[in-house]
Amino acid sequence: MHVVVLIKQVLDPEIPARAFRVDRLLQVPNVDRAPYVMSVFDGNALEVALKLREAKGGDVKITAVSLGPKGAEEMLRKALALTADAAVLINAEANSMDSMGKAKLLAAAIRTLDAVDLILAGRQAADWEAGQVGVMVAEELGLPCVPFVSRINPDGGSLKLRRELDDGYQTIRLPGPAVLTITNDETNVLRSAKVKDVMMAARKPLTTLSPADLGFSGEAAADPAIETLDLTVPEPRKRAEMIEGENLQAGARALARRLLELGAL
Amino acid sequence: MTNVLVAALVGNGAVSGAVLDLLGGAADLAAQTGGQVTVAALGPGAARCASALISHGADLVLTCEEDALATHPGEAGALALVAASQATGATVILFPADTSGRDWAPRLAYRLGAGLVTDVTGWAEADGRLVWSRLVFGGKAEAKMASRRPVTIATVKPGAAKARRPDPERTGEARDLGLTITPDPAWPQVLETAVEQSSGPKLEEAKVIVSGGRGLGGPENFRYLAQLGAVLGAAVGASRAAVDEGWVPATWQIGQTGKAVAPDLYIAVGISGASQHLVGCSRSKVIVAINTDPDAPIFEHARLGLVGDYKEVLPTLTEALKEMLQK
Ligand SMILES: Cc1cc2nc3c(=O)[nH]c(=O)nc-3n(C[C@H](O)[C@H](O)[C@H](O)COP(=O)(O)OP(=O)(O)OC[C@H]3O[C@@H](n4cnc5c(N)ncnc54)[C@H](O)[C@@H]3O)c2cc1C
Ligand SMILES: Nc1ncnc2c1ncn2[C@@H]1O[C@H](COP(=O)(O)O)[C@@H](O)[C@H]1O
Repeated sequence: MHVVVLIKQVLDPEIPARAFRVDRLLQVPNVDRAPYVMSVFDGNALEVALKLREAKGGDVKITAVSLGPKGAEEMLRKALALTADAAVLINAEANSMDSMGKAKLLAAAIRTLDAVDLILAGRQAADWEAGQVGVMVAEELGLPCVPFVSRINPDGGSLKLRRELDDGYQTIRLPGPAVLTITNDETNVLRSAKVKDVMMAARKPLTTLSPADLGFSGEAAADPAIETLDLTVPEPRKRAEMIEGENLQAGARALARRLLELGAL
Repeated sequence: MTNVLVAALVGNGAVSGAVLDLLGGAADLAAQTGGQVTVAALGPGAARCASALISHGADLVLTCEEDALATHPGEAGALALVAASQATGATVILFPADTSGRDWAPRLAYRLGAGLVTDVTGWAEADGRLVWSRLVFGGKAEAKMASRRPVTIATVKPGAAKARRPDPERTGEARDLGLTITPDPAWPQVLETAVEQSSGPKLEEAKVIVSGGRGLGGPENFRYLAQLGAVLGAAVGASRAAVDEGWVPATWQIGQTGKAVAPDLYIAVGISGASQHLVGCSRSKVIVAINTDPDAPIFEHARLGLVGDYKEVLPTLTEALKEMLQK
């Protein structure tokens, strides 16, 4: 079985709000020494793929595919260290493309790979948070799609999925190839890489392609469907009124009184 | 003239408050330009919602009650939505930003070649075009976006629009899309749907929410929150960290990728206040934070704060509130 995991490199989402600035003219974040990481739900997706391989007794090939700058190679090496078998980087500036443009390039790269059975994406990228590319890759490839999957279990020859709903979950039978978008739960927190696997990763295949290699002319980013008019950081708020007391019990009682005074109950 | 289409999954004749709110926003948008509002109500039992939808502002209700919408929601829904869009010629199509709206909107955008803006928190008209607001970078920034296509699709977060007062005299048309959907054997099939039953109020509707994070230290400690919650008639929520630890179900998660809530009172216990969490609770009237770390960012967003170990604070707070509320 061949599983493709789509992973995007993003500005570290854990940067505290206090340190977050934007360049309003360029409409991009402007953060000192910005660290870049694997987008969080893509990490969950990679974990789901690794768990599936374990559940199927090892017979699963995992290919990580990313669209982004040269620097995203580092993240792909990390995916290889986490025991993905191969990695592909489509080297292009993704952030100026719309979701459809990204989906078309990613789908084109997937078409160059050996028969793919399953494609996993994150539910949304942890930077612009669109939640579109995974579903659009399915459309572009003409495959069915199940969004918000948290777990995959082998079930005879087919797969059973757990899809999270707003008020519960569904069990879904997957008869064949599909795109799944992955959401977090306690079973798919991304593991850490083992030291020996980090060393092995350096020897695994990492292919870099240009949009031209995939048959796209220079216009991948032209005519986006959506334009960003402005990007701003909200004003910092006022600090909370801090409740104090001789000890925590007194503080707790003072808090109770204050809640009633405010009419919050 | 802007014709607006609102599309939603309806469960067995029931329309959610979120859909009625969205319909209110759609009706205002269409009214400004003399356009029409259509609702595509999809799912078994959809036709029974027609009168409620019309009284809340729909001019036309297009229904599709095919079983495939329940058994194969994504693929069947996409077919019904294309048919509904073509039937109305809508240039703005709105979905609630829930699990089905987020599933359907990108499929429809692809098939119509439309512009898509997801998780919008509001919109306004400027220089003859619609400008959509949404939070990005985990709620640390806000973007204003506009579509460059003739048709624009948006998924809308709760709170962006308000339902109209229902007018039982209002008239409108309701008809079936007349579509037969036969599931393809390659489509993923729903075998079972498990809806969580909770004893208290639902998070989306609760007036008071007590919410716990990684600071609680373990699943058993959510009982401190349950005890306080019982006194206040509150629902219990959680941060993503508590969900990832496996302490509580994913449906309890509040935040950017969990639920967006707007209670009168939100009590955050052992939650640091990451922007992705705050996005989900910032519409609360009063936020109270209880945290051992005086520098936790949550104190920059709360109305009231108390620095300390929740294990010492919560039992006394529960007792004190119980006494005061009895009086
Ligand atoms: C793309 C993306 C989406 C996300 N979506 C969400 C989302 O929807 N919802 C969400 O919540 N998070 C979300 N997150 C995660 C978010 O960034 C934070 O990691 C998470 O909210 C942290 O949870 P926490 O505050 O419970 O844990 P921590 O940040 O670990 O904070 C624990 C807090 O507990 C305090 N504490 C410890 N012991 C005690 C004690 N005894 N008494 C009182 N206080 C104590 C500590 O001082 C600390 O402040 C998302 C992240 C990403 C990248
Ligand atoms: N540049 C990219 N490279 C690889 N995967 C991507 C890229 N952009 C989006 N994706 C995938 O699509 C998911 C949703 O992204 P988005 O629609 O941008 O929120 C991500 O979690 C990734 O799995």
